[in-house]
Amino acid sequence: MSGNLSRPLLVRHARLRWDDRRGQHQLVFPEGMLVLNESGAAIVRLCDGRTVAELVAALSQSFSDVPLAGDVTVFLDRLAQKGLLRDANT
Amino acid sequence: MTPTPRPLCLLAELTYRCPLKCPYCSNPLELRRYRDEMVTTTWQRVLSEAAALGVVQVHFSGGEPLLRRDLHDLIRSARRLDLYTHLSTGATLADEATFERLRSAGLDAVQISLLDVRPSQNDWLAGAASFDKKRRAVEAARQCEFPVTLNVVLHRHNLDRIQEIVELAVQWRVNRLELAHVQYVGWAFRNRAALLPTKEQVERAERVVARARALCEAQLEIVHVLPDYFQQYPKACLHGWGQTFLTVAPDGAVLPCQAAREIPGLTFPNVCDVALADIWFEAPVFQRFRGESWMSEPCRSCERRDLDFGGCRCQAFLLTGDIAATDPVCHLSPVHELVELALRESTAGKIAFRTMPPDGSRPAIPD
Ligand code: SF4
Ligand code: SF4
Repeated sequence: MSGNLSRPLLVRHARLRWDDRRGQHQLVFPEGMLVLNESGAAIVRLCDGRTVAELVAALSQSFSDVPLAGDVTVFLDRLAQKGLLRDANT
Repeated sequence: MTPTPRPLCLLAELTYRCPLKCPYCSNPLELRRYRDEMVTTTWQRVLSEAAALGVVQVHFSGGEPLLRRDLHDLIRSARRLDLYTHLSTGATLADEATFERLRSAGLDAVQISLLDVRPSQNDWLAGAASFDKKRRAVEAARQCEFPVTLNVVLHRHNLDRIQEIVELAVQWRVNRLELAHVQYVGWAFRNRAALLPTKEQVERAERVVARARALCEAQLEIVHVLPDYFQQYPKACLHGWGQTFLTVAPDGAVLPCQAAREIPGLTFPNVCDVALADIWFEAPVFQRFRGESWMSEPCRSCERRDLDFGGCRCQAFLLTGDIAATDPVCHLSPVHELVELALRESTAGKIAFRTMPPDGSRPAIPD
């Protein structure tokens, strides 16, 4: 269940939502949730089965201070370890 | 004083009706006193008030929530409010068609209870032939691609079979296995002598879980909740009273904890009379154990008081008669010997099964 996904896809039971009350992005799943910042939420939104390279490229369109590709991978690994991402190829 | 946080999690107990008779049920002992159930539109109002209050996850529970014919409508309403929805079910009334309908209503996750890995033991404890139904329900839920948690409550009568339980969970391809030991409140308190395991059982179980965890890491997440009677310190009950959790009972009573209902001296406002937000922020029963000012010694000056909040209020009341006492499970409690006495006196004695007097209006089959 560890990282190194070539085409990260958000699993069906994880949902990204905006919490108006608390003013935060949340990634919710059965056991709890993660609070995400803007770039974290943007990355999760792009976990639709495209490649990591495509994901990083798309990210640079919406952010001037693009998170480094290495940081993106670390973040994706963290989500994958929690079982929140799968590989679109498999 | 820190400001009161908004709740994250709503336990929506849709009904206390249930075809099973689990002897550690979290529903009240005096079930006959609470027959009223809110209608669909009231529950829908509760859901939207909960969402406005900041709730993120809703657990539809009971009793058996599948006995409510409007379950799908309530799930749909919750999803429209962008709430994450769980169903906790005994799963004796659910086949593939049920789960397909739940899926299209927008249900996110399923939790199915199992009493024991041995069919005959399961059926004996549940008070009804239910093992095969549960097995089929798990399969149907997986078929519909739900994330499934299998929940097995642990006690003297099944604690020696953890290895088999883990194997079954792997075989049934559930995502998560929750092995939570009985909490001795409500029905479980009544049956305490018959349910309490021995120290040897508990220690053995810990070793088995550790081994199983290492072996199944890739296929199965295992959550193990240890029995607090055998711990040095109490549980951080509810993550603090009135901090994160909120329960709405079938009749609309709003409780900080589902086990608190039968504690004498506490009054629970009803969501039919008062807005949910007013109850959460202002009701005396929610305010009562927030923060630390209610604590007495030894908690008041203890450095762990913001870790475990003095333990479980219901347990404190059941064991000492004083709801504001230190949870006697804590070895620092002046009456900790009450717990040791209970451990010494436990025997595989007679079990009182959950009962609900027959009621003509009780629907036999759900929609
Ligand atoms: S614990 Fe057992 S009896 Fe109680 S509601 Fe759940 S399934 Fe029904
Ligand atoms: S004395 Fe109170 S605060 Fe300290 S560990 Fe025991 S229960 Fe917790």
